[in-house]
Amino acid sequence: MSSGNRLRGIATIAITSAAVLLLTSACAGTASNSTSSSAGTGSSAPSPSTTAPLLIGASVSLTGDFADSGKAVKAGYELWADEVNKKGGILGRQVEMKIVDDTSSPTQVVTNYQNLITQDKVDLVFGPFSSLLTIPASQVVKRYGYAFLEPAGGGPKVFAQKLDNLFFVQPAPVVKSGDVFADWVLSLPKADQPKTAAYAELDDPFSAPIAENIRARFEAAGIQTVYKQVYPAETRDLSPIMTKVAAANPDVLVSGTQSEDAYSQVKSLVQLKFSPKFMYMSNGANSPVEFPSKVGANNVNGIMSAADWYPGSPAPTSPAFVAAYTAKYGGSETDIDPSSAEAYSCGQLVEAVAAKTGKIDNATVISSLHQGTWPTLVGNLSWDAIGQPTGSFSLIQWIDQKLVPVYPAEVSKATPVYPKPNWGG
Amino acid sequence: MTGSVHALIQGVVLGILTGGVYALMASGQTLIFGIMKVVNLAQGALVVLAAYLSYTLFTSFGLDPLLTIPLTTVIMFGLGVVIQLVFLRPLKREDSAQLSLLVTFAVALLLEGFMSVVWKTTYRSTNTDYANSSWTLLGIQFTVVRVIAFVLSLIALGLLFLLLNRTKFGRAVRATVQNPMSAELLGVESKRVAALGFGLGAATAAAAGSVYGLLYPFNSGSHYDLISELLSIVVLGGLGSVGGAVIAALIVSTSSAVVATVFSPTWSSFTFFVILILVLVLRPQGLYGTVERGAL
Repeated sequence: MSSGNRLRGIATIAITSAAVLLLTSACAGTASNSTSSSAGTGSSAPSPSTTAPLLIGASVSLTGDFADSGKAVKAGYELWADEVNKKGGILGRQVEMKIVDDTSSPTQVVTNYQNLITQDKVDLVFGPFSSLLTIPASQVVKRYGYAFLEPAGGGPKVFAQKLDNLFFVQPAPVVKSGDVFADWVLSLPKADQPKTAAYAELDDPFSAPIAENIRARFEAAGIQTVYKQVYPAETRDLSPIMTKVAAANPDVLVSGTQSEDAYSQVKSLVQLKFSPKFMYMSNGANSPVEFPSKVGANNVNGIMSAADWYPGSPAPTSPAFVAAYTAKYGGSETDIDPSSAEAYSCGQLVEAVAAKTGKIDNATVISSLHQGTWPTLVGNLSWDAIGQPTGSFSLIQWIDQKLVPVYPAEVSKATPVYPKPNWGG
Repeated sequence: MTGSVHALIQGVVLGILTGGVYALMASGQTLIFGIMKVVNLAQGALVVLAAYLSYTLFTSFGLDPLLTIPLTTVIMFGLGVVIQLVFLRPLKREDSAQLSLLVTFAVALLLEGFMSVVWKTTYRSTNTDYANSSWTLLGIQFTVVRVIAFVLSLIALGLLFLLLNRTKFGRAVRATVQNPMSAELLGVESKRVAALGFGLGAATAAAAGSVYGLLYPFNSGSHYDLISELLSIVVLGGLGSVGGAVIAALIVSTSSAVVATVFSPTWSSFTFFVILILVLVLRPQGLYGTVERGAL
């Protein structure tokens, strides 16, 4: 069995090298996690506190379930630090981001903010990725009286804590992100409005409630519900549900989706050759690159979704953000994850507060943001007493295979297309 | 035809066609169990890996995922043999059945880690120009990919049948399944048969994976859902019975599609488990399993 032994040897080498590869990449990840990324060169001489760097701490998920989004958040924070430092920092102080990895763990995130505030003595903190991590983190941050600008925790449970130091840096709470679609549909002439509606909703706190909010609005306006189905997260094949949707033949399909279920819904509808007159998907359809690559570029036209930042966003600071992003990280505008823009917006708010008040401390940030409207990349933001943004998302639609803002009028770059064009196949 | 009857027929068609894909995946699983009494928890990961391979061949080289099946089959076969030699052969025979659970789970995790490093964790989907097309017959849609998958499963299962029943290697495999000691006494190298058998089981993941990538968005974590379904199918069909796995796959996918269409997707997995429990109560060896070692 010499050949068997040799084969076994080769196999062992192959497997061990794969394992080594994995280990080294994991270690490299850990190493880079613990280093703080200093954007500015920093002053060499010890300086009085007014010119000392402004240290901002954040815990993001660089490994684990939220790693992809966590890295996008990190990219946004660091990009903002670079840009603000080029302009001379905040009130003359260079900004230094201290970013640590929470491995997507709700216990690690608590430790991280505890350490950032008590050991590293950061001046300000920014939020982690996801509501799951924002909730435990916000409790720690509240205890120390810090302002908590957080770009990615917009679920109902975040606001149920009723914290006055928390600010969700997006235009509206997640469950209200689809309301802009209802606004638009109900703004149409009565004759053009859909008469019947179907709802296919993923059983997830960030998906089904969005569709349910729209359903409440539609039913109040007399749009008849002909089919509604909530499906569990493990439903891989949405063909049976789409079969029922097609059989119910609604004018509008409202999909409370996350990502892969959105792709599966569209693929199934194309295969079933059913194209509703209006189609809204809460998530999945709003990613410029992923969505067409999953469902086929000629099947996207007419589908609507909601977004805060998107390529071609009319926010005044968007072109500069895109230029800086592509210069630092490469790629093109469509490669930018909205999470990066949301993270960048946290920085913009700090900048704006400092410019307005001439101060940069947590009490000032908290009291300032509770008043007035603050322009950011993701829109003009204002908050209620418990940190819920009071604005609305933009309605975006796939027109000629491009994502275009279509409603409300102040962001619109094209007239919404309806009825939805048929599938390209 | 009223809407709900139409939807029901459409559901049955979907279920039967999808059953073909599951039959393909489960046949490898049951084969491996039949030969070595190894419950291969890595089968789902192997299917996902094969899906990634055909995805990469398609996106990087423009090769059609169905035409690359022979190539991915060879790769998966080789990988299967390697996994058996490196991870399973060192296990002692007496406790190998229990240990193999842990070891193959470790292999699944290793593959998952490898895949998320290489392909990241974003969902992928092999999008050929025919991926979303369907044929209409009497108002019922027959998805092209599902029909192809179904035919492909029949071909692959047919080949598997011929291999097991008409070749010397097949006879050695069946002999090892029935009585490893006698087989060895009669000159069957059971270690070699085990390695090749595992390779064969992994090879069925190749065709299954390329079709899987055409049908569903997938990422490295998709194997968890897959393996639980595959295990249920294999248990329902009777451990070690390829024919049983095929029937069970059809029962599982048709019942879940019909229940999801007629009632709600929330009930579809529940219904399946009711069937599974009933079968296990009435016929503990599964639909086509035997109480003693022997059938394949």
